[in-house]
Amino acid sequence: MFFKLNPTTGQPLYLQLMQQIRHAAETGALQDGEQLPGIRTLAEELVVSPNTIAKAYSELEHDGILELRHGSGAFLTVRRRTRSLTDHVQVAQRRLRELIERLREEGLLDEEIRRAFEAELLYPAEIVGKR
Amino acid sequence: MTNTPVILTRDLTKSYGSLKAVQGLNLSVETDRITAFLGQNGAGKSTTIKMLLGMIRPSSGDGTVLGKRITDARENREMRRKVAYVAENKPLYGYMSVEQTVRFASSFYPDWRTDVANRLLSQYKLPQRRKVKSLSKGMRTKLALLLAFARRPDLLILDEPSEGLDPVGIEHLLQTLVAQSAEGVSIFFSSHQIAEVERVADHVCILDNGRLVVNASLDRLRQSYRRIDLVFPFPPPEREFRIVGVEKIRTNGNEMSVFASMNSEAVVERAHDLNVVSVEVAPVGLRDIFLETVKEN
Amino acid sequence: MLWYKGWLETRSRFLTCLIVLTAFCAVFVHYAQGFLRPEWSRDFYRLLSIAQEYVVIMWIMSVVLLGMGGLVREKAIGTSSLTLSLPVSRAHLLGVRIAIGVLEAITLGVVPWATIFLVSSAGGMPVEFRQVGFYVLLLVGGGLVYFAMAVLVSSLVEGEYTAPAVAFGLVFLTAILFDVWLRRFNPWRLVTGDFYIDRNTYLLPRHFPWKGTVASLVVAASMLIASIRILREREF
Repeated sequence: MFFKLNPTTGQPLYLQLMQQIRHAAETGALQDGEQLPGIRTLAEELVVSPNTIAKAYSELEHDGILELRHGSGAFLTVRRRTRSLTDHVQVAQRRLRELIERLREEGLLDEEIRRAFEAELLYPAEIVGKR
Repeated sequence: MTNTPVILTRDLTKSYGSLKAVQGLNLSVETDRITAFLGQNGAGKSTTIKMLLGMIRPSSGDGTVLGKRITDARENREMRRKVAYVAENKPLYGYMSVEQTVRFASSFYPDWRTDVANRLLSQYKLPQRRKVKSLSKGMRTKLALLLAFARRPDLLILDEPSEGLDPVGIEHLLQTLVAQSAEGVSIFFSSHQIAEVERVADHVCILDNGRLVVNASLDRLRQSYRRIDLVFPFPPPEREFRIVGVEKIRTNGNEMSVFASMNSEAVVERAHDLNVVSVEVAPVGLRDIFLETVKEN
Repeated sequence: MLWYKGWLETRSRFLTCLIVLTAFCAVFVHYAQGFLRPEWSRDFYRLLSIAQEYVVIMWIMSVVLLGMGGLVREKAIGTSSLTLSLPVSRAHLLGVRIAIGVLEAITLGVVPWATIFLVSSAGGMPVEFRQVGFYVLLLVGGGLVYFAMAVLVSSLVEGEYTAPAVAFGLVFLTAILFDVWLRRFNPWRLVTGDFYIDRNTYLLPRHFPWKGTVASLVVAASMLIASIRILREREF
């Protein structure tokens, strides 16, 4: 399992971890029933506060993605609905690929495309335009 | 259920004549957290820590550490049994050997863990018989930190722990901090290494000229602080943007850069009201938060 | 393990002084005896009082040296943050340092005189245990006030070299000042036995002159208590 947390993106680390665990579940990198690293182990590996790991695991348990068994650890519980979510994600990725290709053809640089996406995701109500 | 903060100060003040080293400090450090204490040199960090540990007497105000009053000598002494502290200059007795130093420190604390001490001694490759005065600076730093890390205190206070360590040493240090935190040790450390703080801290306190200017969880800082770069069809009026949350505004012709600690949506809204041409909202790293907050205007 | 730390801190000074003092006594008495006959008891006792004068000088310098150190010095060299973070009171820290110093001071008084006693006995001299014992009591009982003064100075004066300079300066100064104005209270003359010695026999009195020694010890104790109070108030 390869997680990478970036402290400077403006997104809390625990949210990043949650996203990455979800993504791993959707793409099948993490299988149903598989055990995630313990809080201390993962904290030491990623060199982040154990509270970050604990919060991510706790929120994911609340969302029904993880099962925290006292004394044993955190286990993935992929539900049937996630299967279709995986398809959703794969479709979305295909559409993104097409869009990005088109934007590149229109002359936008990758950096500009990325910034546009980030601004959109941070503030969906914003209108980003260039002079 | 909220726990008592491990560190709590009420209007803590320390003056040296007319110089106010610490002014009306209201610090509240939570248990089971890694709290970072940032500030320029001379901002009052070390003075604050020394007041907490009874080395300096406050001019006014009070505080508790682990629920014990810092101004009561006996309570402070009881508290020190459960607090591990490494001062900025990594003090050690030069005339003692590594072995003697370890034995000396361990004799004072029931929370000493010999197995951890031995593991760290071999991990740091510290020569047992060598006198401390003959050790290199890096080794002395590691030994000084070992005296704290071989314990299982309720609170760990570190003043600039990574100073004197190479990158590998810093990585080990952060991993050890994280491991200690996972074992239930509350950590309060001051540092100039902002990149490291950003990785491991849960909470950040920034001290500027003896005053607490930022006191928030790192997550909240990440979610609230924004830099908003705006381009208008005309030179924009700064006064329109002096709203709640806006910390600094810089204008250059038709461009304006706004540094906001919160409420950035309102800034964007105001910009749209003024027919802004381009809006870019970007997150702000801790380094920029620190620099913008403590730099002189 | 504060005792261990205190021992490590003082042992070089202590052992050096002990060896110098003891060697001096052995050599001095042995050599001087060469000119004496056992019948010349008056001269022998005079020799002992001269020995005491030399011992006093060296002993006082030694205990002043031993009184140096402590938290204020640690602040100058940067280790006070470590010592003060230990879960022990400042009174305890100073108390252990004082205790070690006193024990070392006593040893520095007993061993050289024991050596004099042994060397003299071996040389067939009419050395009386009581006389030797009195010299030791005068030295240590009367002289601890110098140790206490050194501890007081070390609690007030910062600077690794300034403190000993002040302490030795004070020893010198008080020796002169007391002699000029307060001769009756001069600790130096108390310690050497100058007040009590019979000018004819050069013997110390049959009954130990407690008053002077006790008064000196009381002054010493006050200075030590003052040191503890001062240390408690000090900021580090």
